[in-house]
Amino acid sequence: MIVSEQLVSNLFYGALLGSVYGVATMGLSLIFGVLRIVNVGHGAFIMLGAFTAFWMFTLYSVIPILSIPIALIFGLALGFIIFFSTIKRLIDAPELSTLLATFAIGIFIEEVAKFVWGSDYVGFSWDIGTLYLGPVTVPYTKLLAFLCSAIIAGLLYVWFTKTKLGTAIRAVVEDREGAMVCGINVGRIYSVSFAIGIGLTVLSGVLVTLFVPVGINVYMGPDYTLKAFVIAVLGGLGSPWGAFIAGFLFGLFENGSYTLLGLIPGVEPFALTRFVAFVFLLIILLIKPTGLLGGE
Amino acid sequence: MGYTSDLIRYIYFILQKQTDKLLTIHMINHHKCEVMSLRGKWKLLMVGLFVLSLLVAGCAQQEQKPEATPTPEKKAPEEKPEKKAETLYFGAPISLTGKYSKEGQMSLWGMQVAAKWINDVYGGLKVGDKVYKVEIKYYDDQSNKEVVQSMIERLAVQDGVKFILAPYSSGLTLAAAPIAEKYGVLMNSHGGASDYIFEQGYYYVVQTLSPASKYQTGFLDMIKKVDPDAKRVAMIYKDTEFSRAVFNAAREYAEANGFEVVFDKTYPKDVQDLSPILNELKAANPDIIIGGGHFADGQLLTQQLAELKINVKAISILVAPALPKYYDALGTKAEGICAPAQWEVGVTYGPEAAKKLGMDYFGPTQDEFLVLFKEISGSDEKPSYHAAEGAAAVLSYAYAIEKAQSLDPEKVREAMNDIEFMTLYGVWKIDPETGKQIGHEMVIIQWQGGTKKIIWPEAAANADPYYPIPTWEEKDQGKLAKH
Repeated sequence: MIVSEQLVSNLFYGALLGSVYGVATMGLSLIFGVLRIVNVGHGAFIMLGAFTAFWMFTLYSVIPILSIPIALIFGLALGFIIFFSTIKRLIDAPELSTLLATFAIGIFIEEVAKFVWGSDYVGFSWDIGTLYLGPVTVPYTKLLAFLCSAIIAGLLYVWFTKTKLGTAIRAVVEDREGAMVCGINVGRIYSVSFAIGIGLTVLSGVLVTLFVPVGINVYMGPDYTLKAFVIAVLGGLGSPWGAFIAGFLFGLFENGSYTLLGLIPGVEPFALTRFVAFVFLLIILLIKPTGLLGGE
Repeated sequence: MGYTSDLIRYIYFILQKQTDKLLTIHMINHHKCEVMSLRGKWKLLMVGLFVLSLLVAGCAQQEQKPEATPTPEKKAPEEKPEKKAETLYFGAPISLTGKYSKEGQMSLWGMQVAAKWINDVYGGLKVGDKVYKVEIKYYDDQSNKEVVQSMIERLAVQDGVKFILAPYSSGLTLAAAPIAEKYGVLMNSHGGASDYIFEQGYYYVVQTLSPASKYQTGFLDMIKKVDPDAKRVAMIYKDTEFSRAVFNAAREYAEANGFEVVFDKTYPKDVQDLSPILNELKAANPDIIIGGGHFADGQLLTQQLAELKINVKAISILVAPALPKYYDALGTKAEGICAPAQWEVGVTYGPEAAKKLGMDYFGPTQDEFLVLFKEISGSDEKPSYHAAEGAAAVLSYAYAIEKAQSLDPEKVREAMNDIEFMTLYGVWKIDPETGKQIGHEMVIIQWQGGTKKIIWPEAAANADPYYPIPTWEEKDQGKLAKH
């Protein structure tokens, strides 16, 4: 009885966490899809988003929900700046160059952030009550994180499928040269997608703080980078909504498997949840090497 | 800086490549020549600006170092001719970047305070007929094991340093220990609490802070005194060398003292959601919880205990609650949470306490320390225990060197076996065989009404324990853990 209650609660939390993972990965996937650049400094942008939410809340009492558009605008601007200063010259460069460049940008951002904000572990308390739903006790902030993630993923989907620019981006993902032949300004698509990718990533930092409002630190990024890579591969590299679905599943597996592993005596279930999540990744890739929603 | 210089080199490379390309384009498109070169210039300008900004950032970081130590660096050369003082370097790999940058910076400031006290107040170290000024020679170890090892090698071989202050954290200290042992230089651990380090048979490695095995035992002693009926202990801690050492010792101690460990599980390092493990913990229905690991997960643990409304009579979490930012981050959720601490501003160690115990007092008093710390750090931030640990390690070297009247690491190590003295940090005495600290005592702090109070041991306490702590629901309604 207790076990099933725990399973329900864990799956519930896993779904909420997974949706945040999902949005936190979409930017990475988008940038890879369009520019064929792996953003190794991904986590640094999540950190910037988390700090955006933190500072807006502490300095101006802006609730994190309202920080989402602020973070998006901030991220878009940052994306354009980074694109035109660095990335633009690396589009056709060898992979190692882009890896190094994005890695360096990540470190640069982290160190500048540390220089300005210090290396404290900060957090904020935005308490809007708790929902008691049978075996599940969940604060409303976490539900909001889920809701916002779902809405953002939905909006992005609509934007990609219904708007001209979105369609153009998808065309470039599918076939760069073909798109060029059709008269799409590929250079513009690059800059816009990169900026949107970074914007989404910074925005996801705000969602992360909705889920975990404490332990915000300039070096929090790399933990998310690693998970984002796994989720991006799982969802099919270059497919942002694939990333969202994969993130959701990853969260479910990570948390859900805990209960089942806990039934085995003598093991540390939490250490094994990662193992299970990665085995799951392996199986998916064995069945479909391009990931859940990846193309050929 | 390593990364930054690589990056700059890399960008130069790209720049050159682009210039070559540009030239080629010039030759091919004669008629476009004007436009292209203009665009090229613009590109060059952008890249140039980026490089410049990197350089500025890099320089700013470098400049920060002398700022942090204004007086010792300026004064040392000035006073040299008068007193004929030589400089004695204590080497230190410091985590100025990476995950331990916070603790690293604090410990460095502490060391610099101690060095300044030795040079300016104490008048330098007198060995034979010579007087030595102490200076801390440090490198950034990036919180990285591999870097730490090469730093120790560099300090011991290239810089000829004989006395090393270990890096922060057990993991890094454990990585550094074999290298120090290999070169026969003394290494003083001020941030590596794990007992395991001192069970490897290293002769040159000694410890200034209390070992991990003592971290949570004081809290259990306190519970036993305050509420003998609270028997059910839950342990939930981070899967790291340090936490494992703490909780393996705590488990043994709890069982030996009549407690029942009803829950004992770890969580991984980079965890974002503790709800699965906490759901299971809730079902075990404990009286008290001991747990934690470092900063981020300590905050997360408290936050999620609150979210899941897991109410117990007392909670002690490692590391995180000992820092003021913990309360800033969690607000009233932090009320009543306890933490073991190596040291706290307000402990009663001083010349008088030393006299009572019949031992020497060496180093600045707590008030002197606070003044010097403010000067060195240039901020209003209060020193954390990392600063006091760093200072105590430097002071213990100084005290032992004067006792040994030698700068030979082996003789100083021998002298360390017999010394027992007090600093602002507490008693310093090592186990001669292992080098483990046995004189120093942990204090337990508790957040009471927004301030950190020392509640244990009774001799050092400035407040009574608040027990049982308010429930999360009570805290939501504004109840504080205040008498």
